[in-house]
Amino acid sequence: MTAATTIGGTLSPASQGAEVLRAEGLSKRFGGLKAVQDVSFTHHQGEILAVIGPNGAGKTTLLNLLSGVYRPSAGRLHLMGRDVTDQPMEARCHAGLGRAFQIVRPFPEMTVHENVTVGALFGKPGQRLPEARERAWALLERTGLAAHADKAAHELTLLQDKRLEVARALATNPSVLLLDEVMAGLRPGEAQEAVALVRGVRESGVSVLFIEHIMPVVRDLADRVVVMDQGQVLAQGTYREVTADPRVVSAYLGTEEGLQA
Amino acid sequence: MSARQAEAGAPVRAAPRREITPGAALPLLGFLLLAALFPFLPLGSRAEFLLQIAFFTLVAGIMALSWDILARSGQVSLAHAAFYGLGAYGYALLLKAGLPWLLAMPVAALLAGGVSLILGAVTMRLSGMYFAIATLAFTEVVRTIIQNLPESVAGGATGLLVPALLGGNSRAQYALAWGLLAFTVLVSLAVRLTRLHFAFAAIRQGEETARVLGVSIVRFKLLAFFISSSLAALAGVLYAGKTFFINPLETFSLANSIAPLTTSIFGGLYTTLGPVLGATVLRVAEELLHNSVKDGYLVVYGLVLMLSILWLPRGLMGLRRNRKHGGDL
Repeated sequence: MTAATTIGGTLSPASQGAEVLRAEGLSKRFGGLKAVQDVSFTHHQGEILAVIGPNGAGKTTLLNLLSGVYRPSAGRLHLMGRDVTDQPMEARCHAGLGRAFQIVRPFPEMTVHENVTVGALFGKPGQRLPEARERAWALLERTGLAAHADKAAHELTLLQDKRLEVARALATNPSVLLLDEVMAGLRPGEAQEAVALVRGVRESGVSVLFIEHIMPVVRDLADRVVVMDQGQVLAQGTYREVTADPRVVSAYLGTEEGLQA
Repeated sequence: MSARQAEAGAPVRAAPRREITPGAALPLLGFLLLAALFPFLPLGSRAEFLLQIAFFTLVAGIMALSWDILARSGQVSLAHAAFYGLGAYGYALLLKAGLPWLLAMPVAALLAGGVSLILGAVTMRLSGMYFAIATLAFTEVVRTIIQNLPESVAGGATGLLVPALLGGNSRAQYALAWGLLAFTVLVSLAVRLTRLHFAFAAIRQGEETARVLGVSIVRFKLLAFFISSSLAALAGVLYAGKTFFINPLETFSLANSIAPLTTSIFGGLYTTLGPVLGATVLRVAEELLHNSVKDGYLVVYGLVLMLSILWLPRGLMGLRRNRKHGGDL
């Protein structure tokens, strides 16, 4: 747990790992709508960073800016010390960015193992097929999917599909993993398993940035939280710090109950 | 590890059931062997005629298989008549320029492959119907250009004489067509069994997801175009050398773009055996119908095609049981 944080401020140098992701004034407009406005934050090596905020706060747009689905209207993005603002999705993947989607997107005509093999084969340049297959097996073991390797993705349960999303993203050997509401739609017991999975990801040395609605999950997982509202960063800090911030509390329905939900 | 415990009790398989075994190549080898033996059958007095049908069946097989390779990358093209025609015209013009035929053939194929990269680059961001329409328009553009070149160069609307392939020896011509089909089959298998398969299939089944996973779509889509159109051009070379007269209207006809599509769907998409088998069955059926139902044979042909697509959504390859997720070549 990183200690020396202040709301809206930055970490003290002593507690910082190397910087993996840095957003500088990222903005995205859709016509007249300012979906994301001047968002800046730094994501450090080994850190689990949560992005929270009410519906429509711009979280998913921010994630799309990070992964390269959208080009920002303004601002820069640095990944592993390189400016990737103008890089397409595949180049960002090669540079170390992995992403699991909120709505799972398996390749429907492939088996679970083949799905993961795609990530292992193309996530970094110059991979060979036999090695990629092997690494896909190892990841299926790690994510508890080995028994389902030869199933089609539609034969999996939702939790298994989410594991597949994570396994496939991990197969690209990322430095940072972006998770878009992986807990959405899961039953409480399943959510606990998913939390354990994310912890395991971090323990393997991958920094995690995740969007989440379920506050207990944020409390359990996040080292640091970025709160967004109306496209802007409202506050940054530890879970305790941001939930004590009156601006954050009022953004969540204006009541403290909003945060407990 | 809690994830492990959750899966306890589920059977663990050693390998996915789709893993392709060497045995999967047997039907293909069988087909090629039968095709190789065909000229040695006692064909009787109609040998020349039957060999000609067999020759164009092989050409249809090359066309269908080359179309399928492009389709595997999610690019459903209506430009195959253009590549077929570029092969035919490229070959004829290279011969006119004095190149030996054995050199003119691969050079025409590579030229068509090069031209296809232009189309591939332009249609990179298109998909589905928009992509299909763009490729259709491309075919018209190529045909119009060829047709309006000075008549002394490409024969204009009238057409162009092409020296007969291999001195007009139909057995030798058949052997050459067989060799080129075998080559196309090898290329198709190479695509299926290497990393290209994963790149093409991922792009087809979810382009954005593929990009997020690091698949360089520009490179792989263009590669699919290059491979596919070069092979289609080889089919065009065979056509030009066999009919020794080509004109823009017939060479670039829409039928030449549609046939590989229907053939691949009928035989089984995204496989090697399917398009080849589909070409054989459809060509033979077409000839038989042509002889028995003189006037309305296209109606019957169309009905057969419609019904088979209704009942065999995975084509002829779907007839094999216990292969729910493939593993076929």
